[in-house]
Amino acid sequence: MSDISTEKYVEEAKRGIADPVLRRSLSSLQDRFGRGTAEAYRKLPEGPDLRLKAHEIREKAIENLDVLLEALTIKIRQNGGHVFFAATAKDAVDYCLEVARRNQVRLVVKGKSMVTEEIGLNPALEAAGVEVVETDLGEYIIQLAGEKPSHIIAPAIHKTRNEIADLFVRKLGIRRTTDPPELTQAARKALRTKFLAADMGTSGVNMACAESGHITTVSNEGNIRMATTLPRVHVAFMGMERIVARLDEYEIILRLLCRGAAAQTMGTYASYIGGPRRPGDSDGPDEFHLVVIDNGRSRILADPQFREMLCCIRCAACLNVCPVYGKIGGHAYGFAYSGPVGAVVTPLLTGINRAKDLCCGETLCGACMDACSMNIDLPRMLLALREKLAYGDANWQVEPASRAEGIAYRGWSWLICNRRLYELGVKLAAAGQKLLPQKNGLIRRLPPPVQGWTQSRDLHPLARETFMERWRKRKQRVMSNE
Amino acid sequence: MSMETPDQIKFFRRIRTALGHAADVPRDAGQLFAEGPSAEDLQLLDRIDKRTTAERQTLLERLMEAGKPINLRVTPVPDMDAARTAVVAVVDEKKPEWGESKSVAAWRHPLIDRLGLEAPLARLQIPLRITDPIDPKASRECDQAERERQRAGIIASFIGVTAADFCMADTATLVMRNRPGQPRSVALVPSIHIAVITLDQILVDMKELFALLRWNERYRPEGLSNYMSFISGPSKTADIEATMVHGAHGPREVHLFVITGIGG
Repeated sequence: MSDISTEKYVEEAKRGIADPVLRRSLSSLQDRFGRGTAEAYRKLPEGPDLRLKAHEIREKAIENLDVLLEALTIKIRQNGGHVFFAATAKDAVDYCLEVARRNQVRLVVKGKSMVTEEIGLNPALEAAGVEVVETDLGEYIIQLAGEKPSHIIAPAIHKTRNEIADLFVRKLGIRRTTDPPELTQAARKALRTKFLAADMGTSGVNMACAESGHITTVSNEGNIRMATTLPRVHVAFMGMERIVARLDEYEIILRLLCRGAAAQTMGTYASYIGGPRRPGDSDGPDEFHLVVIDNGRSRILADPQFREMLCCIRCAACLNVCPVYGKIGGHAYGFAYSGPVGAVVTPLLTGINRAKDLCCGETLCGACMDACSMNIDLPRMLLALREKLAYGDANWQVEPASRAEGIAYRGWSWLICNRRLYELGVKLAAAGQKLLPQKNGLIRRLPPPVQGWTQSRDLHPLARETFMERWRKRKQRVMSNE
Repeated sequence: MSMETPDQIKFFRRIRTALGHAADVPRDAGQLFAEGPSAEDLQLLDRIDKRTTAERQTLLERLMEAGKPINLRVTPVPDMDAARTAVVAVVDEKKPEWGESKSVAAWRHPLIDRLGLEAPLARLQIPLRITDPIDPKASRECDQAERERQRAGIIASFIGVTAADFCMADTATLVMRNRPGQPRSVALVPSIHIAVITLDQILVDMKELFALLRWNERYRPEGLSNYMSFISGPSKTADIEATMVHGAHGPREVHLFVITGIGG
């Protein structure tokens, strides 16, 4: 299994906020991509409303997942490819290990894929004695540094050129330079020897098309094209939801993917892979394997409240506008998926209680939905998760996050339904607040058990007169004047 | 469903159950897949069919415009001779990235054959490696040996010359379907990629492309092939402090020559 550290959200978020370099890079990233993507949507011939159409396409695909996956499977098998259906992360990893063992694989070159992060493919291959090399430049930097990606599309956004220069001197033995083209060239050279020597290439799947029987991968660097062309074996991993029915629908999704991910009209490389090398071809892999992964997705599919999350294509547009992600960075989210998408999908995949801070940390400002290339209502699902945390949910095995909070709110609801008691309570509180420490007319600290509320904020004191008191007085005044 | 594997049976049961359908009954595709071209498809096919040379020229201008921001160098050339001269000039001018000696890999393709690069490159003493189709009936050993020979040649080449099936003007995207003799690594592994197309291969966008591949009698049988590539300009990355750098893994430069005087 992959590492899950969602419990450290608060701790890691604090670390992120305290890191000025990270704050600067995130702010510049959001500034460029956030605006750029919005502009790219506006420039679409159909306008930003194309996202609504895409949402319909994705919903229809999800509702017919069995039919679409079956059509894709038949086509790929007809073309000589293998399709394996993995119920769990372990099934997917074990299948890949078996393919690697059968083909005596010693070196794997990896195209960037979030689902392989999700299932923990790298550590499993390494444990089996296979060398795994990440080939996306950002991922390669992260791997050399022994870290985790902090953004779905820009995984090394938290590293400065100086840090990368030191890293390359140490790991690649180059002469020190902080020039991005020279650093890129050093990685290009090192990775070229890996591409040429690798026995197996792995990739994710951006989107599959059932009608044509292809999976597609999109990249700007060309690393995925290398990893799926040069080695003898190609294993592609796809979340079971990443499919649409027809090419005309796929066309819409691809256009939105490129705009959502990097404000581009088209990524540099998009490859449509329908199977292995055919007789007469001089390149391409001898074997092509597609691993379709459930790993908790069927549970999301079964719940109408969260099914919409399966429309997501992981373009990461939501990260580029989220005020929370923009301050805390990706590591706080503690799993493969960060930002608003992570705040919804991680609790659903790894356990709602375990990842509760992720969905409670978001602000519900709605920027993610506006930026979402598939127009997914992320705020609605964040609220639905919070509701489960408040009241518990047997289906998702959620324990109420705080019993005391539940009791307090039940007490509050009883109090406000009772006029006399409520007014008495307000009077008592108004008298009591005079004893609390105040500054600039604000209450600095509340007494236990509610001291947490004022830990990081001051509180406005109750007004001297309640609204009802003023209302009654005013009414008396008006009546006596008449 | 034939060839069902045990992992697949369980997987599909879970999906159908989650969707509220009977777990063991495969469902009908219904209206999910298109039976024939839509009205929009027919319109697109008609538009492509009736496109005049003047309209194609306008598309070429659009293509050149779209190529600029992604550093795709699009150059119109009037005829085959001009195309040959242009390609040879690039080969002559550019320096190899990995080592000293120059060699060029090129597809076995009717248009590239007509280009006739062999003689001018021989005069420059630059070897040209043509990627001939591999005999599908060859023995396993012969097949393997020939593929390894071609691979080594492509890796050693600093420039790869290819044709393309189409080019989409709106995004400056070359479209290549896989065929024997036309390995995709020629457009990927060498440091510089040169593509040569004719004016009539330019389409507007993906909508036109997919309409042709799905519904045009000439293109439909081959469809997307087992591997179709979209290539929009040279390889790039912005992973180091968001600075744009060309030549991350794929070619650092892509040159596209459009022959305006002849049809494919």
